[in-house]
Amino acid sequence: MLKFIITLALGFFFGSILLASQAFSWYRIQEMFHFQSFHMFGLLFSAIATSAVFLYILKRNKQKSIYGNEIHVKPKKLEWKANLFGGLIFGLGWSISGACSAPVYILVGLHWKIGLILLAGAFVGTVLFALVERKLPKA
Amino acid sequence: MNAPLPWFIAGPLIGLIVPALLILREKQFGISSSYRFIGGVLLPKIPYFSYQKDGDRWQIQFALGLILSGFAAYQVFGAFDAVVIQPVLDYEKLAVNIYDVKNGLQFFLGGILVGFGARYANGCTAGHCIMGVSQFATSSILATVSFFIGGLIGSFFINPLIF
Repeated sequence: MLKFIITLALGFFFGSILLASQAFSWYRIQEMFHFQSFHMFGLLFSAIATSAVFLYILKRNKQKSIYGNEIHVKPKKLEWKANLFGGLIFGLGWSISGACSAPVYILVGLHWKIGLILLAGAFVGTVLFALVERKLPKA
Repeated sequence: MNAPLPWFIAGPLIGLIVPALLILREKQFGISSSYRFIGGVLLPKIPYFSYQKDGDRWQIQFALGLILSGFAAYQVFGAFDAVVIQPVLDYEKLAVNIYDVKNGLQFFLGGILVGFGARYANGCTAGHCIMGVSQFATSSILATVSFFIGGLIGSFFINPLIF
């Protein structure tokens, strides 16, 4: 129950920041891809920089989790064809829908009609991938 | 409601979620595996979905928090269409509400590509761009560059045709 509340609260926090900064918005995403504002770039770069600094501190301090376990951070495996082709497909979807995975959920709460259409689309896309994944070039 | 929270506040706050998830939940930041988890619940007969999904269960809870944040924003601020930025785009008709259901087909198509691409690339903006790049992982840097190339193509060439 505690874990559930922690995770729910972090999701709520994440969503609130994406809403307040308008990063969830279709318009902000188009603005970013048209290089018409620094807003989204600054947001992404400063998020990455903050995360990198904290990952360094966690590692240096051998920080343990609140459950007393050592924290392990694993990079995602390099599968260059998957990262490249999957990335292109994801990027196309991101620019068309103006939403990546997290804003899809935010929109379910905010504009439920479009949100549910998006969520259904994302799930259909996941199922399509599941059906063909063995035939796709990966590494 | 028109001025966004500045990036230099919002960005670091998002970055803080990475250590928070590690310390409080022992999880690496990400969200798109939640779609695979849903597949594991609904369609467990498909091999890709019959996996050890317990490790991804937390993402559903995380997603629930995201949905609640959108719902809360709607209750407090209304339909948030005030977020419409000045028409920065070449095709100004889009300055009207893009989230109208008449654009449902385009959003459905975009959603399919997001879902398919995130699984194929093994991560999305959260898992690759933020979590992965901040570890300087080659896979994530490559995926991030690729996200942007795909996004440029979509935003410049496809959106003017379909919206």
